[in-house]
Amino acid sequence: MDKDKIKYTDEELVKRFQNGDERAYIELVKRYKDRLLNFVYRYLNSYEQSEDVVQDTLMKLYTSAHMYREIAKFSTWIFTIAANLAKSELRRLKRRRVVSIHTMGFDDKEYEIPSDSYNPARETESNYGEKQIQQAIDTLPDQFKTVIILREVQQLSYEEISRILGISIGTVKSRINRGRLRLQKMLKDLKEQ
Amino acid sequence: MDCYSFDRIMSDYIDANLNVKTRKEADEHLSICPRCREKLTDMKAVLIELSCLPKLKTRSDFESRLMDRIAKSKEQRESGFVRAFRDYSRPISVVAAVMLLVATSIFVYTSVVIPNSPDSVPSAEIRSVAPDRTMPAPAAAAAGTQLAGAKTETELPDSNKIERPNYNNQIMMVNENK
Repeated sequence: MDKDKIKYTDEELVKRFQNGDERAYIELVKRYKDRLLNFVYRYLNSYEQSEDVVQDTLMKLYTSAHMYREIAKFSTWIFTIAANLAKSELRRLKRRRVVSIHTMGFDDKEYEIPSDSYNPARETESNYGEKQIQQAIDTLPDQFKTVIILREVQQLSYEEISRILGISIGTVKSRINRGRLRLQKMLKDLKEQ
Repeated sequence: MDCYSFDRIMSDYIDANLNVKTRKEADEHLSICPRCREKLTDMKAVLIELSCLPKLKTRSDFESRLMDRIAKSKEQRESGFVRAFRDYSRPISVVAAVMLLVATSIFVYTSVVIPNSPDSVPSAEIRSVAPDRTMPAPAAAAAGTQLAGAKTETELPDSNKIERPNYNNQIMMVNENK
C-alpha cells in the first residue's frame, strides 16, 4: 500500500475508506492535517484551538465519510467542514472573551509552534512583520477574513472558494477586492504607528 | 478611468481577470497616476507577504491523539448500545410477551370461540335444519303465556294458515355456492 498510496487521488482514497479501508483515512489525515491547520490558525490566531478544530474536522471525516459524494472535490468538502467549525469556534471564543497572551502569535516563547518554513531573519527583510500581518487579518470582518485566507494563504481558486463558502464567484471577487484593500489600509496604519 | 474605478478593479487587475478593453484603460490610468501606481505596488507586496507566511505543522503526536479519540468514540458508541440494550431489554420483553398473549387470544377467539358459538352464522358446512322438531310458533306462544300466568284468551290460529319457514331454499342456495 505504501507505494500505491502516492498514486491515489483524494477522491479515490475517500472511496476506499468508504469501503472500509482505514489506511486510506490515515493517508488523508497525513495529506490534510497541516493544510487545514494553516487555514484554521490564520482564522483563529490560536495554535491550541486550531489544532483542536483540525482534529474535530478529521473526526467528522471519519464519522461522516459516507456522506461525501464525488460531485465536488474532496478538498472543497473538507475545507467546508473546517471553515464551519472554525467559525463556530471563533463565535465561542468571542462569547467567552478570553484573550490569553500565550495563544497570541509567535511571541510566546513557552509554546513552541512547529513550522518548517519559519525564518526569523525574514522579518527584517519584509515590509511588514508576520505579527502585523496576522493582526491585520484579525481585524477583518469574518466574510473578508475567510476569503482572504483561502485565496492568499491557501492559494485556492475563486471557483473553489465559491463552492466552499456557498457564495457566487462574483461575491468572492468582490469580497477579495474589498478585503485586500482593507488589509492594505490596516497594514499601512500599523506601520505608521 | 479614475482612481475610484481603479480601486474597484485593482484585484482583478492583479489576478489578470480583466477583459482587454478594461485592462487597457487601467494601464492608461496607471501611466498617469502615481498614487494608484504606488497603491498597486504596495498591494502586490502585501499579497506576496501573505502567500509567504510560515507554514505551520501539527505536533508530532497529532495523529496518535486523533486515533485515540476515534477509538474512544467507537467504544462509547458500542457501550452506549450495550447499555441501552441492558436497560431496556426487560421492558421490551414484557411488552413483547403481552403483545404475543393478545395476538394469541385474538387468534383463539376468532378461530375457535366464534365458530362454536350457537349464535354464529353457519359457515360452508351446513347443519341440517329440522323445522318439524321445533314447536309451532303459535303453540310456543300459547305455552309461553300459560307459563307466564296471564289469563288471556288467545285465539289459536288455524295451523293450516301458519306459514312455516322454508329452510329448503336456504339449503339449496348454500349447496349451489359449494
